[in-house]
Amino acid sequence: MNALTVRATQDMPNTREKVAIRDLSFFYGENKALHNIDLTAYERQVSALIGPSGCGKSTLLRVLNRIYALYPNQRAEGEVWLDGENILDNSQDVNLLRAKVGMVFQKPTPFPMSIYENIAFGVRLYENLNRSEMDERVERALTRAALWDEVKDRLGTSALGLSGGQQQRLCIARTIAVKPEVILLDEPTSALDPISTAKVEQLIDELKRDFTIVIVTHNMQQAARVADRTAFFYLGKLIEEGPTSQMFSNPKDRRTLDYITGRFG
Amino acid sequence: MTMYTRRLTKNRIWLGLSMGAAAFGLLWLVLILGTLIWNGVAGLDVTVFTRMTPPPGGTGGLLNPIIGSLIMTVLAILIGTPVGVLAGTYMAEYGRYARLTFIVRFINDILLSAPSIIVGLFIYEIIVVPMGHFSGFAGAIALAVIVIPVVVRTTEDMLLLVPNTMREAAAALGSPRSFLIQRVIYRAARAGIITGILLAVARISGETAPLLFTALNNQFWNVNLNAPMPSLPVVIFQFALSPYEDWQRLAWTGALIITVAVLSLSILARALTAKGVER
Repeated sequence: MNALTVRATQDMPNTREKVAIRDLSFFYGENKALHNIDLTAYERQVSALIGPSGCGKSTLLRVLNRIYALYPNQRAEGEVWLDGENILDNSQDVNLLRAKVGMVFQKPTPFPMSIYENIAFGVRLYENLNRSEMDERVERALTRAALWDEVKDRLGTSALGLSGGQQQRLCIARTIAVKPEVILLDEPTSALDPISTAKVEQLIDELKRDFTIVIVTHNMQQAARVADRTAFFYLGKLIEEGPTSQMFSNPKDRRTLDYITGRFG
Repeated sequence: MTMYTRRLTKNRIWLGLSMGAAAFGLLWLVLILGTLIWNGVAGLDVTVFTRMTPPPGGTGGLLNPIIGSLIMTVLAILIGTPVGVLAGTYMAEYGRYARLTFIVRFINDILLSAPSIIVGLFIYEIIVVPMGHFSGFAGAIALAVIVIPVVVRTTEDMLLLVPNTMREAAAALGSPRSFLIQRVIYRAARAGIITGILLAVARISGETAPLLFTALNNQFWNVNLNAPMPSLPVVIFQFALSPYEDWQRLAWTGALIITVAVLSLSILARALTAKGVER
């Protein structure tokens, strides 16, 4: 017990609150999918959201960059503070927000253009780089995403010709190329084979040096491997949240224990 | 007889019936194409493309109606395509859940199957009558009215085929809607949209009824859009109904030219979509 407490404090370095979710509820039409969530993601840490299907973890992620706003009848209530600004405020420009809060999706979504253009696409939106600066940016993003060596000789070819794992790393490269502050990962490895999954997990470990990361995952081992803190959701409610080691070794709530020991979900 | 052999027999009967129906349908197509080639090829030589329509008993070709058809078709596509693509874009992207989209889609479907002679009469009323004379311009507008619903429909359908994950991925990079549509969605749906435009070209290049009331005809060389303009379908209509054998021969040749052109366009459209699916 004592040893666990020590590890728990080690896992919780004294860092700044990056994303603070306060009393957040979410509605799909009349259907309330999230109930009064309070949760904090700390700067340069990986926060994992776990829970069975339909528990609201992806929904929560989709609030953080307001991607839900693409659809009618989806509505968030409450507050989400990013560096002291409430992103749910009407005055928040969603495009600027999304440039700051990047997202990688469950299925790789390369655009139907060349590998190079896939990366340059997002950069061009907010920066006016000349050719060599852009080349450098593309190379750096691909290098950081551990994809450069595999694609450097075919940057001009269609991104659709890459394997699934490569496509997903391309999507990560595309996201970090625009220099966001927060990266949201929505089950980024669920469509990948074990080797690609390992590569992406390694990448997440690298990326947290510069970015605040929030990851939704179905895979509890993954959460245990990559996350500093873990939050468990069930039926649209946040059941428990804390340092990952504590969540997996000594959960406070019965339902968390049942879930992580595989009794349901 | 066991259940299995009974099923086998039933299967054979069904197979026979459906193959027979397919063959019956194909037979007419082959007959039409065969007759066209049989009657049209004889008159197909260079003069068809280099000389004007002749008076009865004279010699000549189909140069002026070919040029007239090309001009009016190109103009109709130039007018109809932007309108159609933009309307389809509104329906699939901006107003996907809007009431206006449902109304437009309903009206568009009606327009899509409206008899083209009604389009001709409509343009006659709103353009030919006020202008006081028939014109190539009116003909092109009438054809554009036929182009629009075809392009609207295919554009909307093709854009709807682009998965939402693509839109989300582009939006997640901070891309405004218009940029996302132009740079990502159009690119993903390009083959399909071009196919729609080609099908619209194929559709209007054989239309006669809307031109009868608008561009009318002209037996002379004319590239002036403000004057009556000849077109292949109308010339075929006129020549085929005439009692003169040389005119009838030219009508067959013209029909063959249109058919080959439309067939090539359809094949091109098919090839493009096939490539699109392959990606």
